[in-house]
Amino acid sequence: MTEESVRNRVYAIKTTAKQERTVVDNIIKALEDHDEINVVAVMAPDELKGYVLVESPDPIARIEQLREMVPNARSVVKGETSFHEVEHFLEPKPVVSGIDEGTIVELIAGPFKGEKAIVKRVDTSKEEITVELYESMVPIPITVRGDNVRVIDKMPEE
Amino acid sequence: MAPRNKKSLKVCRACHHVVEGESCMTCGSTNLSEDWAGYLYIVDPKNSEIAKKMNIDMPGRYALKVR
Repeated sequence: MTEESVRNRVYAIKTTAKQERTVVDNIIKALEDHDEINVVAVMAPDELKGYVLVESPDPIARIEQLREMVPNARSVVKGETSFHEVEHFLEPKPVVSGIDEGTIVELIAGPFKGEKAIVKRVDTSKEEITVELYESMVPIPITVRGDNVRVIDKMPEE
Repeated sequence: MAPRNKKSLKVCRACHHVVEGESCMTCGSTNLSEDWAGYLYIVDPKNSEIAKKMNIDMPGRYALKVR
């Protein structure tokens, strides 16, 4: 067996909410002083709130030891996952992928937060959608970012 | 309240590297973006499967997605 064939495992560490990026930085800082802990990569995908993923060839006890040194890292999730299970985080889908013309969405940010709207146009390359508010008297097209909306209903069959 | 300086970090659109100055240290590009998501720190690119998948051969901070 060569050194290359050592299988890396992926562990999940639970963090305080919204501190994922800080925890990643602190893990790196902790690693600088502890050569015995072998971690090859740390990531905090946006889709996975409250957790950071640690890629390491070490057993879980080492990760537990690492976790104790890092503020805002709550616990290590028991068990390990393989690389293939986290692979999809590395190539994020465009945020507008589930949205088509005619979809009913709710705006979740910006001045029209909470308003329902119907999708008129989808720009996949810019990840923007153009919507018209449901309750407005005159149709005014509003262009918003794809991640500022939540899909409520797909286009009704007509 | 802590200063929200994290927000001002920029990411190179070409190599996804997180940069603090006005140009990317690795590829020299000035095409930076403040709108990015997903944080990735590569420590050992040679032994990391994540780094291989992302085609990263330099250790450092990266973004998973840049707009």
